[in-house]
Amino acid sequence: MTSYSLMRTSRLSLDSFAARAGMHPELVRRFVALGLLEPFRDTSGRLWFAAPQLRAVARIQRLRAGLSVNYAALGLVMDLLDRIEVLEAALRATGSHMPSNAVHSPPSVARFEE
Amino acid sequence: MARDYYDALGVSRTASTEELQRAYRKLARQYHPDVNRDPGAEERFKEVSEAYSVLSDPDTRRRYDRFGPDFRQIPEGYEASADTARAGRAGSPFGSGSRVRVDSDSGGRFGAGGIDIDDLLSGLFGSRGAAGPIPGADQEAELELSVEEAYRGGRRRITLSGAGEPVSFEVTIPAGVTDGQRIRVSGAGGQGSGGSTAGDLYLVVRIAPHPRYRVNGRDISVDLLLAPWEGALGATVSVVTPGGEAKVRVPAGTSTGRRLRLRGEGMPNPRGTPGDLYAEVKIMVPRKLTARERELFESLRRDSTFDPRKGT
Repeated sequence: MTSYSLMRTSRLSLDSFAARAGMHPELVRRFVALGLLEPFRDTSGRLWFAAPQLRAVARIQRLRAGLSVNYAALGLVMDLLDRIEVLEAALRATGSHMPSNAVHSPPSVARFEE
Repeated sequence: MARDYYDALGVSRTASTEELQRAYRKLARQYHPDVNRDPGAEERFKEVSEAYSVLSDPDTRRRYDRFGPDFRQIPEGYEASADTARAGRAGSPFGSGSRVRVDSDSGGRFGAGGIDIDDLLSGLFGSRGAAGPIPGADQEAELELSVEEAYRGGRRRITLSGAGEPVSFEVTIPAGVTDGQRIRVSGAGGQGSGGSTAGDLYLVVRIAPHPRYRVNGRDISVDLLLAPWEGALGATVSVVTPGGEAKVRVPAGTSTGRRLRLRGEGMPNPRGTPGDLYAEVKIMVPRKLTARERELFESLRRDSTFDPRKGT
């Protein structure tokens, strides 16, 4: 069930990361400058990205496009979403039910097909 | 998306631009797929985005009001000919209803506030400008399992309702899955735009309450009903577990409340030691005694010095 494709400690160069994210490398640099992405920097100053950062890029793009969240606020929104995720995982571990989605609408339920 | 755009935003047909924007912003925050993990949220988000993109532009709103949901089929050709007509003769087949068409490229994109003109990343949901492909968000749905289903695990076909059309897919449920554990269904989450990859769907397992089994993590507790003499003298009795029948050896001198552990008879653990099964003793007495039983219990009362209310 677990997929290891994102678990590999593969590092992507700025250009290949930008290509996989479908973005211009300059925009990736801008994300880094804004603290939205945290790449490794080698001794020669080149940027290297972990593959899971592609998920962060996708989330940035969705939040930008869907809610017009500006760049300054994006960092805050992403930090808050991350913290909520941690809290929800802790709640799940105790077997508590999460009210988060239920506030808006009854959560979708998956059922067996008999 | 057959739903009326005004209904989708929950506003009246006479709503002002401000009301539209307020309704849209509120719903967009509520249903954005990165905020709301429910699989139904994405569809709803697209619906309100689509509704707002049409109604926020006075021109498309007018066309929508006039022609209804099919307005897109009508206007392009219709208005083009109207424009030509206007250019040629300063007249208009639309009468007073027609005005010079404002190209909506810069004006009505996403309401007034907070747009970067140099926004390099717009158009996730199709209606605004072109952007590169954006992968879909992860989603979450609950999967309720009986204790037995969680114990057995296995490959099952599952239907997800609540996200528009019901979708079904196969998942492997790990044997011994616990309450709150997430099962990842790769690529079954939110759709990506522009041909990009879909997100993952996480099924959050809920173990349904069971009339006999109480589950705590991987440990399972079950009542073990004993006759008074079984508790007093000891016995070997069978107990039904999710994995089948198991034998419990009850030591002599066992009272109600004692928990007898059957090591490893709880939920299996694919990555380690399985849980334990706890048989919780309950001493039961016959509701009605036969004459012989009464005789025996009375002689026991006469001869026994046991007093459970005194320390033993």
